Amino acid sequence: MRRKPGTLLPLETEILEAAQRSGHATFHGFGLAQTMRDQSGSRSLTSHGTLYKALGRLEELGLLTSRWEDAAAVEGRPRRRLYALTGEGARAAERAGAGKAVVPRSSLTSEPA
Amino acid sequence: MTPERMAELVAGWVRLYTRDLPASVAQRRVEEIDADLHDHIAHERARGISERRIARGIASRMVRGLAADAAWRGHQAKVAARLSTREETMKVSKAVYRSAVRIALGVALILTIPLVATLVSDGEGWSVGDFIAGGVFLAAIGIVIELAVKRVGNLALAIGIAVVGVLAGVAGEADDAPGLVLLGIVLIVSACALGIRARTRPAQHSQ
Repeated sequence: MRRKPGTLLPLETEILEAAQRSGHATFHGFGLAQTMRDQSGSRSLTSHGTLYKALGRLEELGLLTSRWEDAAAVEGRPRRRLYALTGEGARAAERAGAGKAVVPRSSLTSEPA
Repeated sequence: MTPERMAELVAGWVRLYTRDLPASVAQRRVEEIDADLHDHIAHERARGISERRIARGIASRMVRGLAADAAWRGHQAKVAARLSTREETMKVSKAVYRSAVRIALGVALILTIPLVATLVSDGEGWSVGDFIAGGVFLAAIGIVIELAVKRVGNLALAIGIAVVGVLAGVAGEADDAPGLVLLGIVLIVSACALGIRARTRPAQHSQ
């Protein structure tokens, strides 16, 4: 999809809003996909390629930051990349979410077993 | 097919489309998808979803994201190429700067000889104009030598410079022109240095 410079795609806006509503400081890829599925009422999770491409794009735009989670928190599973909204990202999420219905807090950082 | 087998297939696909990308970029994507797949399987199992459905869900996420994966790879490859071009430009700039410093130092060093001679002699010696002309001439020779050195194996040029140096020295001796003799010596020394570098470079490159 072609875009105007400085504009966000619907998925990118959706990610920012989901991150904002979660109320958590950080979130990870699968947790985000799960939250977006729950919020949209969809049956399927966002595809890997689409999700991580959008996250990378938002990071390039300075709306998100990311880091690897601490080794101590990993507990035998692959380490997650943790994302956080920047100040600019939070403002973009607020602008995008203005006028929309409030969605209950999600399970962005919920821990699968 | 089990979810784990399907996850392996997805991981294989990720490794395939991240091939030849910068290691840090590729590794990040591989690890991020690995973590996602692990979380996906664990979460769906905890919800009591059947193994078959979990595997189908993973496959669906991969297939629906193929176009985005290809676009992401294209973008990353472009970014990497741009960075590589910038590094190349910086390398060239550094090389030019080093050459300029070498030439300036060489010219200054050589000109100290007539300068000292002028200072110790009684009014005889080089005028300011001579120093300027000598500096310009030496700098031009330095540039030619620097360019020649870049061309590995250019022994013919080294021999040519040496011949000109010998001729300058002989002519200077005949005309009693110490400046010309000095120039001849400089040219001969430069030709020797160039010849040595031309012969040693191929051996260094082959290591």
